[in-house]
Amino acid sequence: MSAKKKATNKSATTTPVGGRMPGDLTREELLDRMIRVDQAGEYGAVRIYQGQLAVLGKSAKGPTIAHMKEQEDVHLETFSTMVSDRRVRPTAMMPIWHVAGFMLGAGTALLGEKAAMACTVAVEEVIDEHYQGQIKQLGDDEAEMRDTCSKFREEEVEHRDIGYEHGAREAPGFPILSGAIRSGTRFAIWLSERV
Amino acid sequence: MARLKPTRTDMKDAIVLAASPHVAFDGWGIDALGRGALDAGYDLDTAKRLFPEGAVDAVVHFADLSDREMLKSLAALDLDEMRVRDRIIAGVRLRLEFLAPHREAVRKGLGVLANPRHGLIVMRLTHNTVDNIWHAAGDRSSDFNWYTKRGLLAAVYAPTVLFWLSDDSENFADTWDFLARRIDDVLKVPPLKAKLVKALEDLPKRFAAFKPAKGPQQNQEPPRT
Repeated sequence: MSAKKKATNKSATTTPVGGRMPGDLTREELLDRMIRVDQAGEYGAVRIYQGQLAVLGKSAKGPTIAHMKEQEDVHLETFSTMVSDRRVRPTAMMPIWHVAGFMLGAGTALLGEKAAMACTVAVEEVIDEHYQGQIKQLGDDEAEMRDTCSKFREEEVEHRDIGYEHGAREAPGFPILSGAIRSGTRFAIWLSERV
Repeated sequence: MARLKPTRTDMKDAIVLAASPHVAFDGWGIDALGRGALDAGYDLDTAKRLFPEGAVDAVVHFADLSDREMLKSLAALDLDEMRVRDRIIAGVRLRLEFLAPHREAVRKGLGVLANPRHGLIVMRLTHNTVDNIWHAAGDRSSDFNWYTKRGLLAAVYAPTVLFWLSDDSENFADTWDFLARRIDDVLKVPPLKAKLVKALEDLPKRFAAFKPAKGPQQNQEPPRT
């Protein structure tokens, strides 16, 4: 019992909202950014899987990709609801992600099934880091959002593992491909937080 | 719960409202704000403290007050029974009806905001107003429509205010006609937009022409001649 109490005390002291420095984002600005970028990210993810499905939909990997896409659909739905409920401005990059996501998905799928899986691995790895960062930043006052992020993060990690199981590492030029996609994804996150 | 001390917002509300008749003559300077403060039971120093930037702060606060009053009046309507078009019209109309006794102050306020250095403030104020109207009208868009809707309403709202400023018809009947016509103009845009979006969405389909080397063949397009 006392151990439990200690644990809650500790998490209260690490709550970042209280430890804000002058010039940092306010609590509202931070949450705005988080929800905006998460919604944009899930939108991009849905578009990537749609792109992959457009090429690989009828192949043996089709059902696997469709399963991942269905989970992303739920994520997108959740964050879109948050955008409306909390009156967050959605990212203005939406039309860009609409096209870019699909192109990335379809493009890597055209390189072959393994390249498509390498793309999944690269994207989901960055998303995993991104959610981890957010979970750390969210305090007890946003427990619901934190739980949502943890749940989604687990599913994204699952997608990454699916990617590895389906031979992502054997994709042609895996290090270069995944490096490029990872830095692209990080840039997309940076942009969607702000614009 | 009764509040013992008025909040900052309450004080600012009282001062800008009391200043409005003075603004018609003196503009939104510290003169008018000081007189407004005296009329509202405060002193010049309170006005200076609450509106450190003077005119701009007062105009921004007045816009915020108008939005709040508009939302209050909108909440009294049975919006569920209204079409979205009518909810939007009601929003614009209720805001202007609240502003009717302050028309000269609004005119002077627009003069203050016309300074190019206040461009960002104008954008923010316009955004707040149209965002509040759309939110009250029950808008739940979370994609690019969020921008289209707000942009289109801003494009209706701004000219309506300008028309209203020089409207001397009875009860602003001409303004309400003008507003209805502008809304109808704007409603012609979504079908155009739908066409554009459809064209963009069809774009990725052209990728279906390319297939991975080992992928199964499906709906092959006949070769172009």
